[in-house]
Amino acid sequence: MTEKNVKLSLQDVSFTYAKGTPHEMKALDNVSLDIYADTVTGIIGHTGSGKSTLVQMLNGLIKPESGRVLIDGEDVWAKPKEITKVRFKVGLVMQYPEYQLFEATVKEDIAYGPKNLGLSKEEVAERVKSAAAFAGITQDIMEKSPFELSGGQKRRVAIAGIMAMHPDVLVLDEPAAGLDPAGRKLILGGLVRYQRMTHCAVVIVSHSMEDMALYCDDIIVMENSKPIMHGTSREIFTQEERIVNAGLDVPEVTALLKSLRENGFDIPYGVYTVDQAINALHELLKQKKRKGNN
Amino acid sequence: MKSITFGQFYPSSSPMHRLDPRMKVILAILYIVCSFLCQSTAAFIALLVSSVLIILLSNIPAKIVLRSVRPILIIIMITSLINVFMVKGEPENLLVSWNFINIYTEGVFNAIFIVVRIFALVIGSSMFLTYTTTPIMLTDAIERLLSPLHKLFKLKVHEFAMMMTIALRFIPTFVDEADKIISAQKSRGMDFNSGGLIKRAKAFVPVLIPLFASAYHKAIDLATAMECRCYRGGDGRTRMTVLKLKPRDFVAFLFMLLLGVGVVLLNRVPFLYVM
Repeated sequence: MTEKNVKLSLQDVSFTYAKGTPHEMKALDNVSLDIYADTVTGIIGHTGSGKSTLVQMLNGLIKPESGRVLIDGEDVWAKPKEITKVRFKVGLVMQYPEYQLFEATVKEDIAYGPKNLGLSKEEVAERVKSAAAFAGITQDIMEKSPFELSGGQKRRVAIAGIMAMHPDVLVLDEPAAGLDPAGRKLILGGLVRYQRMTHCAVVIVSHSMEDMALYCDDIIVMENSKPIMHGTSREIFTQEERIVNAGLDVPEVTALLKSLRENGFDIPYGVYTVDQAINALHELLKQKKRKGNN
Repeated sequence: MKSITFGQFYPSSSPMHRLDPRMKVILAILYIVCSFLCQSTAAFIALLVSSVLIILLSNIPAKIVLRSVRPILIIIMITSLINVFMVKGEPENLLVSWNFINIYTEGVFNAIFIVVRIFALVIGSSMFLTYTTTPIMLTDAIERLLSPLHKLFKLKVHEFAMMMTIALRFIPTFVDEADKIISAQKSRGMDFNSGGLIKRAKAFVPVLIPLFASAYHKAIDLATAMECRCYRGGDGRTRMTVLKLKPRDFVAFLFMLLLGVGVVLLNRVPFLYVM
């Protein structure tokens, strides 16, 4: 793999909600991390581990209490009046984004962000079209009202709305939460395809290990307001013990292979998707057959 | 995710907090009537003393009480100034006379009385009601107090109180929701800090439409949930917490009556100035 470029980075960032009241709650505690360009990064962690606060930090919705957020090496909060520019560079899709739709048609709703960028009409139309394709929105619903759509369709319209702004970094907070497997695949697969085409940085927050293993290049594991692990999916999932200790589940196939290994089968480490597992088991059976024949 | 406390309720277990909410509504009305009955210096002094006593009994810090008076400070100032300059008294009571400005003793006293009266009005409504009674208790009390209207005129008192309770309950929910939608639209480049008045007002459309849509959905969901639990209005409905008047409520009532009688008697005392 080639040398990775740091796109976004957090330096010693802390944040506390409702500071100075009895409801005080620490959300981020001295967090330092880098997010690389041209990579799909997954952020994974328990409820309340600070994931959502972290992503709102990335596009300047929340100002860090201490520490700095850098994009391309520049401090996001250097000029607070120009924070909107940062939001054009870092596109954020919030949790349950289907509630943000408001326009009369799906087409116009996707165009809201690009219009705010001050683009020409032709450019906006072009971007709406390509974003809709990536998000798996078919032509027949483009002229419908977003309020008539199903939950999964609404979600995809909201994601397309941010994609169409062509941000350098696309951040999504739980983009697949509450969807059926087909819906999850449509959204996450579309995101990866979009990333491979545009070579931007994509950050996906989730607590589904399966999804992370399948779609992400890099993974950051959060626990107690801090990132505790950061590496490629392979690096992360070979350290099953640490993930389990952080109170998270490893993907089910990894758990299965682990118990096989513990029972004396010769299975390699770092297998974390179903396809890889099938190959590994296939290999194992072949070996056994050979031994049996001898 | 801001923690917004709705209303001004100040949790405590002071004597005022423990009074029956129905009694507090009645006391607040009586107290306001008392403040209008006052006509002499002596009566206004009694009113002022009673306000201080009420504050002490409510266990609300002075800082918070003053905060509740602050918004109406300008009204108090303007009305008292108008009284000072506009009230025409007896010629022998003329204090200052300069060009067209004539200030009489009557005007000065009227101004002071008005300040005390407005102060008492604010104290009456806030100490008895908003600061020491939760909004839910208050709507409950209003429902009970108005229930004779249901029997007499078939007014939908229970439904009205339920509407108030639901409205109050959903304010924090919608504040939260609005917060989220604003964040989402900001992420899409919404900017309501620049441009002219019309442009700024237009910038709110992407917030208001989703908020309205969600309110509408929540209303339907709530209605379904209520019907699933067989809600059918107030008729024959029993309560989880039944309000019951206690001796202390009657004592409080007695004190309020005493204040009323006292004020009427004090109005005849020729001390300093009588209206």
